[in-house]
Amino acid sequence: MTTLIGLVGTNSDYSTNRKLLQFIQRHFTEKSEMEIVEIRDLPLFNKPQDKTIPEAVQLLADKIEAADGVIISTPEYDHSVPASLINALNWLSYGIYPFVDKPVMITGASYGTLGSSRAQLHLRQILDAPELRARIMPSSEFLLSHSLQAFTDENTLIDNEQIEKLEGLFEDFLKFINITAQLNHAHDLNKREAENFSWERV
Amino acid sequence: MKIVGIVGSNAEVSYNRTLLQYIKKQFDYLFELELIEIKDIPLFNQSNDQTKSVPIQNINRKIMQADGVIIATPEHNHTIPAALKSVLEWLSFNIHPLENKPVMIVGASYYDQGSSRAQLHLRQILNAPGVHAIVMPGNEFLLGKVKEAFDNKGDLKDKGTIEFLSSCLDKFVQFIKVVSVIEGPKKPALEPEDLYATGKIETTVEGVDMYADDWLEQAAEAVNAVEGDTYVKLDRGLLTVDQLNYFLASMPMELTFADSNNQFLYYNHTLPAEEMLASRNPGQVGNPLAKCHPQASFKNVEWVIQQLRSGELDAVRVNVPTHGPDKFVVHNYQAMHDKEGNYVGINEYILDFQPIIDWYLKQTGKTLEGGADGVSGASASDHAEESDAVSGASVREEDEVMDAVSGASVKG
Repeated sequence: MTTLIGLVGTNSDYSTNRKLLQFIQRHFTEKSEMEIVEIRDLPLFNKPQDKTIPEAVQLLADKIEAADGVIISTPEYDHSVPASLINALNWLSYGIYPFVDKPVMITGASYGTLGSSRAQLHLRQILDAPELRARIMPSSEFLLSHSLQAFTDENTLIDNEQIEKLEGLFEDFLKFINITAQLNHAHDLNKREAENFSWERV
Repeated sequence: MKIVGIVGSNAEVSYNRTLLQYIKKQFDYLFELELIEIKDIPLFNQSNDQTKSVPIQNINRKIMQADGVIIATPEHNHTIPAALKSVLEWLSFNIHPLENKPVMIVGASYYDQGSSRAQLHLRQILNAPGVHAIVMPGNEFLLGKVKEAFDNKGDLKDKGTIEFLSSCLDKFVQFIKVVSVIEGPKKPALEPEDLYATGKIETTVEGVDMYADDWLEQAAEAVNAVEGDTYVKLDRGLLTVDQLNYFLASMPMELTFADSNNQFLYYNHTLPAEEMLASRNPGQVGNPLAKCHPQASFKNVEWVIQQLRSGELDAVRVNVPTHGPDKFVVHNYQAMHDKEGNYVGINEYILDFQPIIDWYLKQTGKTLEGGADGVSGASASDHAEESDAVSGASVREEDEVMDAVSGASVKG
């Protein structure tokens, strides 16, 4: 069965993005095995000269490395990705490269109308950076607006259309993971390039 | 013009810091630039509000007081570093110091694009409703290949780059003026001052009555204060307490120290109260400032302290013309700061400028325009003019402040 990591894109105690991932985890339990991971215990990235990676980061990296794909659910803070998620991605591309060629699907929930649309665009650009090089599922966007009102008391999505859309995207993501697995010709090279990448030599 | 420069990286080594240091040094004729470091700011977490913590409040205060902000950002993973984003999240959560603040973005990076993507993201972030900064359009200063850009003195090497930076900064100064016209004058109201010193700071001696005539003796005992021939290490020197006293007593002015809790802690006691320019009694040491001034002048005393504490003014100078025509007595209220720039109190030094002016004229053979009258200020109207000239910083409040001060000296 496909193994997935659901990455909660915030360090907040209460998060509708966490709820969304929990819903996905439950709703697709027959199609995939998903583990939800948190970023709240990671220290603030400060580019340590000796490139030591904190244990919590290494653990996270190992899980991502082992999974077939990653779903990142991001809120939007100030038109962009939360600092805590940028922080996690800063660590996960600093001398370790778990995201290289990893299939990623982006979802997002927000209290307002726009459903984290701007943050999702930024996240795509970030995941495209030379040290991350994720394979982001193209032409797919799952924006959950008014997320405080979007769930039932049992944490199920209320809107059937939303569920339908999510089901379609999820099916596509599983296919995308398979296709990506075949796009492996450049993988070794990509990995090597990411590892050897240095801004000082660009 | 006061600008703060935010170093957008928490890394030990940062070329963006170097760039801001260079701007501070090279363009000091355009504005006064204060660098702000972000490494002590915790990672933003909306479930753990630390808005009231000292490092965040410090940044908040400095930005509020500045005319404009320059942010220097590196680029990590095609966007701004988490540490910088985190600071902006704190500054848009429960406080909004960047609201309507003119901001200029610069960036340095190792590769030739010079943080171009991070700068675009930063523009969008600063535009978000919670931040609502007014970012200067155009004038993108991207410093690529930064490892080769500076010489070993930290100066930019390339002449064209320097010229472009200079033109961007010129425009930023203009931009700040334009924005201030659009926004209109909007100074934040300053916090009220506790003239009764009911609060406490780290150095406040507790358990001793501030109003007691022997506060000094009691407080000295409480903290085991040293005196006499005990050595004190200073920045920079080594003196005994006696030597320190001789030194301060020899200063050709009356010195007074009031701490940031508004407690009167020290004056260089050389003359009896009635012979001083502004009389002080030994028993007053330790008093809250409220006790040293008549109630009618509290508003003005408060105004002076507010200016100094907020950084609105570094010094307030007031001529007190009640000493007769042969003196030009000026009360100088100078803000004191620790090494981090935090306000720690007032150095009030009072002196008669007249002998200095006379000496200067004698040595140089120069005369004052308008003749001796202008110097001696014999008439009341001359006084008014002179006091304006000296205390330019506080022209508007001149009359009020003057009342406060003369009130203080009368009361003693």
